[in-house]
Formats: sequence, C-alpha cells, structure tokens
Amino acid sequence: MIRAANLIDALNRAPAGQPFITFWIDEDERQALTFGEFRRRAREQARVFRDHGLQAGDRVVVIMPQGIPAMTTFVAAMMLGAAPAFLAYPNFKVEPSKYRSGLLGVTANLSAKAVVIDDEFPEEMLACVSVGDDTMLLRAGAKDFKAQRELQESHEHTSKEEIPKIRPDGLAFIQHSAGTTGLQKGVALTHAAVLRQIEHLARALKIDNEADRVYTWLPLYHDMGLIACFMLPMVCHLPVVMQSPLDWVMHPETLLQIISEHKCTLAWMPNFAFQFVPRRTPESRWRDYDLSSLRLLINCSEPVRASSMSEFQRAFAIKSAVLQSSYAMAENVFAVTQSDIDRPSGPLRIWVDGQQFRGAHRVKLVDEGTPGAVSFTSSGRLLPHQQVRVVSDSGVILQSDFVGEILVRGDCLFEGYYNRPDLTAQAIVDGWYHTGDLGFHLDGELYVVGRKKDLLIIGGENIYPQDIEEIVGGHPFVHDGRVIAMGVYNPDLGTEEIVVVAEVEHEELLAGAVELEQEIRSRVVAGLGVAVRTVFLKPPKWIVKSTAGKPARSATREKLLTEHPELNAQA
Amino acid sequence: MTSEAQQMIDHIVQLIRKPGVTIDENTPLVSSGLIDSMALVDLLLKLEDLTHRRIPAGKVQPKDMDTVLKMFATAERVGKPRK
Repeated sequence: MIRAANLIDALNRAPAGQPFITFWIDEDERQALTFGEFRRRAREQARVFRDHGLQAGDRVVVIMPQGIPAMTTFVAAMMLGAAPAFLAYPNFKVEPSKYRSGLLGVTANLSAKAVVIDDEFPEEMLACVSVGDDTMLLRAGAKDFKAQRELQESHEHTSKEEIPKIRPDGLAFIQHSAGTTGLQKGVALTHAAVLRQIEHLARALKIDNEADRVYTWLPLYHDMGLIACFMLPMVCHLPVVMQSPLDWVMHPETLLQIISEHKCTLAWMPNFAFQFVPRRTPESRWRDYDLSSLRLLINCSEPVRASSMSEFQRAFAIKSAVLQSSYAMAENVFAVTQSDIDRPSGPLRIWVDGQQFRGAHRVKLVDEGTPGAVSFTSSGRLLPHQQVRVVSDSGVILQSDFVGEILVRGDCLFEGYYNRPDLTAQAIVDGWYHTGDLGFHLDGELYVVGRKKDLLIIGGENIYPQDIEEIVGGHPFVHDGRVIAMGVYNPDLGTEEIVVVAEVEHEELLAGAVELEQEIRSRVVAGLGVAVRTVFLKPPKWIVKSTAGKPARSATREKLLTEHPELNAQA
Repeated sequence: MTSEAQQMIDHIVQLIRKPGVTIDENTPLVSSGLIDSMALVDLLLKLEDLTHRRIPAGKVQPKDMDTVLKMFATAERVGKPRK
C-alpha cells in the first residue's frame, strides 16, 4: 500500500479506469462508476461548494439516501478541507417524531456551514434539520449543482491545483457512534488517524486491489459502512458492490444474489445478519447461490456469537476460514482487533467455567462440553499500534483471566466528540478510551462479553443479558435476534430480577404463549442456572431498534415499563 | 375498492389486533398510531406481493404508507413491475 498524505491524495492515486462503486438497485438495474469518474463528480461538487463559500474547517452534513451521489458529496467536502458527516436519511421505518428530535440535536451540535439533502427529501422533515443563520441548505442534484455542469467540462488534471492542501492532522470527517439517534455523538477523526487504521486493516486482511471486491448493505452513517466499505476501498482502490440497507432488510436474500453475481471477496456484517439471511431465505434456494468467491466475511459485533456464524456457514456451505471476527468502534476509526485470517478454523473459541465467570468475573478454561460451561468467540488480536487494558470498576488493571471494562489506546483513536468536551473528558482518561464494553484479553485474544451498563447482578451473580438473549433467541418460535433481557429491581428481594421480552416469529404463536413462556424459562434455567421472573411475548416488530438496526436496549426497556406499569411499581 | 385493497385491509386488521377498530381505504394508520412504523416492513412486503411490483424501500416515507389508498398509489408511483 502506498502511503498517502491524506484521504483525497489516496483517492487521486487510483487508476482512472479502475472500477469503484457499483450500486445495485435491483435484478436489472445498477449504476457503476470508475475511480476516474468518481473523482470527476466529486470535484464538480467541490467547486459548487466552494462557490457557495464553503472553506477548510467547515462542517457539512450530508443527509442523502445511500448511493453514489451521497458518496461524491461526502468526498467533495473533504476535498475542500471541510469535515463532512453522514446522517441517517428519513425512511419509512423510522418513527417521524423520534427522527425529528434526534436530527435536530445532532445538526445543531455540528453547527454546519451546509446541510446537503437530495431533491426528494420529505418536506415535513425539513423543519427538523437545524439550519441556523450561518447554515446553507443545499439540494444535491438540483439547480445548485446542475447549473455548474457546463463549467466543469475541464479535464480532471487541470482542476488539481484548485484543491487546497489538506493537512494530515486536519479533521477528515465526523462519524456518529451507533445508538438511538438522539444520543449519537459526533466522533471527530483526522486524515492521519483514518489512514493509519486503513493501513493496519489492509495489512491484517491482506487486501489485494487486483483481486478483492467488497460487498456491502451497511449504512454509510455507521462505522462499518463508512470505514470498511467506503474509506478502505477508496484508499486501497478496491471495487465495491453496494445496495441500500433498506432494500436489503426487505429482501435479505439479495445479499446472496449480489455476492454470487459479482464474485465479491470481502464483507462485514453485524452478528444478527448471520442468522437473518438464512432464516429469511427459503431453504430450497440455499444452494442456488455460489459464495465461493468470498475470502472473508467478518462478524463485527460485540459480542460475536459462534452459533450465529455456524447457522450461516451451514446454510451456504462456507469454509470456516472465511468467517472471521473483529472488535470495532467509531471512536477508534474502526477496528481495534481482527481475528487471524490464516487460521483455517476461523476465530478462536473457548469454554470457561460458568460459575467462576458469573460469580467472580473470572475466566477459568474448561473442556468443551463441560456441564455449566460458557463459550466465547474471540474478536481477534490487536492490530498494530493498538493497546487494550481491562480494568475493574475501581479502575484497577486486571490480570488476563479476569473480566472487566475494556480500555483502548492507539494511533487511530479519535480526537474527541465534536463540540462536546464534557463527553470527551468522560470517555478519554489519561489517553485511554473507556469503551463501556466488558471483556477479557487472554493469550493475545480479545473476548468481548457485553456492555458494562447492561450487566445484570442477580443475587450477587454477574449475568450478561446477551447470554440470556442467545438462549431465548435460539427458540424456533422466537423472531431472530429480537429478544431483550433486562434486570428489574425487586425491593422485596433486594436484588434485580430477570425480565425477558421477546418477539414471536408469527403473531398466531401468541395463542400458545403460556407453553412458550414455560419453555423459555426452562431453557434459561438449564443454560445459565438462573430463573427468569417474567417473560413478555410480543408480536413481531414490537422491540425498538437503534439506527444501526440492533435492538435498542434502553428504549425497549422504557416501552416495556410504560406498557406494563406493574413492573414500574417495583422498579 | 379493489380486491387487493380489501386483502390489504384484512391483513392490517389481523396485524393490529384491536377489536372494534374498523379500517377502510382512507383510515390513517401511521399518523394515528394504529400501526407501529416498524410494522411497515411487513406491509411493504405484502404490498409487493399484492401488486406484483418491486418497491424500492428507500423511496418510501411513512406518509406514503399512511392509508391503504396511499400505499397502492405509492406502489404505482415508485414500484417496478416484477418479471
């Protein structure tokens, strides 16, 4: 990989004729463009931005549907030394009121010079974009951009001088951490940090720009979509085949279709997608697809679940070495760890004593199949120049066989939350970023077991809601991954009790709720040795999801407590 | 009313399970809170089935799905006939 001075320099080095983005619309429609054409369009937009007075250091908010125009707009802002940020485009699944309040907060905090929307941006949502006196609202594709078209016939070489010098330590863009929209924080990243991350990742994944091709449905406003599936290909000059996240959610089988058809070699997905795709594709069609081109399919979730990955692997006859794992977060640009892609059996899996784990937060290795053992899948080894520490609640550094909060430090770490020194000071202490994730770092492998704030303490035992959720979610009548386990305090007992809310696969199944509840309780007791106080079975789509499509824990908890005030009375 | 619209209404009635609520082609569904916007994925898939059209989900907003009448108009406007 050639060392570039900044992200735009890396883009400029790509051969003009090399294919870049293929945007898959449906079976018979797609848009494709080369690196040369991508640059030309981005420069054209950069010129329009400049004519509107946009300068280095300004912030540009991009609220456009997933696709090539959104990507060229983003890069155009970077070309001027401005810092763009993708925000989620309103869609039919998003509760309008929630979207409004979230967007308003995020755009106001960025105090952007320009907010770029597309021609079809719904009028009723415009009021929720904070456009202050100093903010311009631009419509990409409309007159603002098209009027300039005749002017930009000039060849790409002649326009190079117009592009200002971008400092490597200058802000490249702002990416938003996952979470329910209102709580999203703007993670400020420099060109140098992003380039270092890509360099580490490209080396760990043995990226080859002549052979590799990325497939993605991941939203561009999320780190997995932005870094792994847009910035990495842009810097390493890889072709990408992309589809809209919404189209994918509607028709998850299209993932198989696209990978087969375009012979993609690399993809990243969150854990739930490994179950979602096989479960939403009729079994009779599983073998219609040829995924043999896939070199790496990386599970980038915390925690990584071996059961979800095996489900995908069994359905589509994929080699174990293809399924890999990574631990990533917007605050570190993207990845902190990556599993060793040369291990033929995929990410390392271990079994630990369940009692020691829950009672003492201790990792004691046992053999597979030992009664009461808990299994973990490694998220991989540290990328170069990355460090982790595992600390106790009181901040004491723990030995490798103890579970605690994961702290991260390294050469890709963010500068801070944009305009929020208060949040930055809480998150980065003495150079270490406090991730809020719990895990352990054993023999060089990092295992992420859950979120610190989600941990349930039941009668002195540490229970991870994810463990309960995996057991409940494994029931064939429960909708894929739509389970949330939480602790509700019971003052009579002086401890939290476990409450589970789960969506059934079909609403008709609610008729047999009593039996199903009993089965769920028995499974949890058998698996973890703890009793569930109440199981709430809900119809499909009941659980609140985050912008990243994962069940939103706190929002779901709130919804449950509102619908069931009897729980509140004791909370 | 077309038989497809009637089938959609029957589907929605089954989905919301609210006894006593009657739904016709013009009943607001999303804006009135009768259906959760998350249930719209299911309705959009049903709409694709009933109209034999492929609907690009990115071009659909909650207001486009607010009534049964609007749903079919949306399918007509943004949908493509399926092969």
